Amino acid sequence: MSQAFDKLLDARGLNCPMPLVNARKEIGKLDLGQVLKVVATDRGSVADFQGWAKVAKNMELVAQETESAEGANLYVHYVKRTA
Amino acid sequence: MAERPNDEIWSPEDLLGRLERRDKFFVLDVRNRDEFERFRLEGRSPLPAVNVPYFEMLELGGKEEMLDSVIAYIERDLADQLPPGVKILSVCAKGDTSEYVAEALRRLSYPCANLQGGMKAWGNYYATRALAKEPDLAIYQVSRPARGCLSYMVASAGKAIVIDPLRHLHPYLDLAKRIGVTIEAVIDTHGHADHISGGVALAAKAGAPYYLHPYDAIHPIDVLPATIPYEFMRDGQMFPVGRYALKAIHVPGHTLGLVAFQLDGRFIFTGDSIFIRSIARPDLGGKAETWAPLHRTSLERLLGLPGEITVLPGHFSSLDEADEKGRFAAPLEDLKRKNEGLLALQRETEEGFVGYLLESLPKIVPEYVNIKRVNAGLLAPAEEDAAALELGKNVCALSQAYVASGGGRQ
Repeated sequence: MSQAFDKLLDARGLNCPMPLVNARKEIGKLDLGQVLKVVATDRGSVADFQGWAKVAKNMELVAQETESAEGANLYVHYVKRTA
Repeated sequence: MAERPNDEIWSPEDLLGRLERRDKFFVLDVRNRDEFERFRLEGRSPLPAVNVPYFEMLELGGKEEMLDSVIAYIERDLADQLPPGVKILSVCAKGDTSEYVAEALRRLSYPCANLQGGMKAWGNYYATRALAKEPDLAIYQVSRPARGCLSYMVASAGKAIVIDPLRHLHPYLDLAKRIGVTIEAVIDTHGHADHISGGVALAAKAGAPYYLHPYDAIHPIDVLPATIPYEFMRDGQMFPVGRYALKAIHVPGHTLGLVAFQLDGRFIFTGDSIFIRSIARPDLGGKAETWAPLHRTSLERLLGLPGEITVLPGHFSSLDEADEKGRFAAPLEDLKRKNEGLLALQRETEEGFVGYLLESLPKIVPEYVNIKRVNAGLLAPAEEDAAALELGKNVCALSQAYVASGGGRQ
């Protein structure tokens, strides 16, 4: 069921804007077509990654999931480099 | 983070003071557009504001680093929209991202400040104002200014009753400690739809009974009974507090179990019936046509109270409804001349007034059904879900009076 990915970015415990800022830097290091999995604890990252995907020209938001781990929610984003 | 002069970091308390004084400033809100639309900063008069999500600045600024990107974006795409010489308040959800934006503004020599803790802290900020301080009676209004929610502590001879406590308990516990009173009873005027009540939790903490009218212990949409512990409240019931007593007046309309409280012939806690500028909506139970005539009968009952009685409402929709000391309170006779809903009540026939009510209904907020479930104990959200349910200003008043000021979530 889990989405395939090529690289993992652990953004747990980071506040806005760092999950998105760090993901943007990591995207630049991927090859075209590769997928970055971002794991965050910041709930706001869900809407922010969606908004970012609308303006960014080199990436696509492939999937988003919410997982429950030890009572806290994890917000997982899969981002593919497209250009 | 480096030390900043005080006027470059505004706490929620600073912000409230500036809004009340009508200080001039410009809001740069960097949250995503949905959040901005749902919950924005509002003052006594409309605040000039622009919304550019931080991720758009970051992406369109085109630089590797956040700060460099934001600087590039502001210089190229935003400078035209920023008024020269006016302080810019940088705002985001939690106050961290807006600090990057404030730093970018500083580097570009704009006068600016960051809202500490962001809209989350502003939404959770409580202000406590004394309404009466007499030798054996004190009344405090405890508000959440961002949400337009009002609650009260009535204290006499070392005892206190709390009316409509909001979700966070510290304002009431701190106040009780500060003025040296024991909370003897906690009362909700009705089952709230717009915010999560702190009633049950505060009563448990204080070891006091929690009162609710039984009609509001049934969820109106689900038609399911509440699972919370509560004591029945009835019309005419007296609630002693020190040397005084509150008298319950059942005024159904906004909900079936809405109760107002009269204190000493001088004060009337109206809950969601009469507000300062408007009156409550009758449609949150999904039965607007059936409840509107009840609402009218209840409002007429309240209108029969002495004109000099001070109305203490459950909500405001604009900070501009406050007096010069930031208190939301007014004599009933003033409201008969100024309150849009009460003017309509006095002007219209029964049929005409019901028509007025039904034509003035604001948009239904989808979260309100779940908030009522939470308040009845039918749903128990985690903290962050509870906060998300409550986001934004209440929409409990008729819309008419606020159309001109742009208030409300229309």
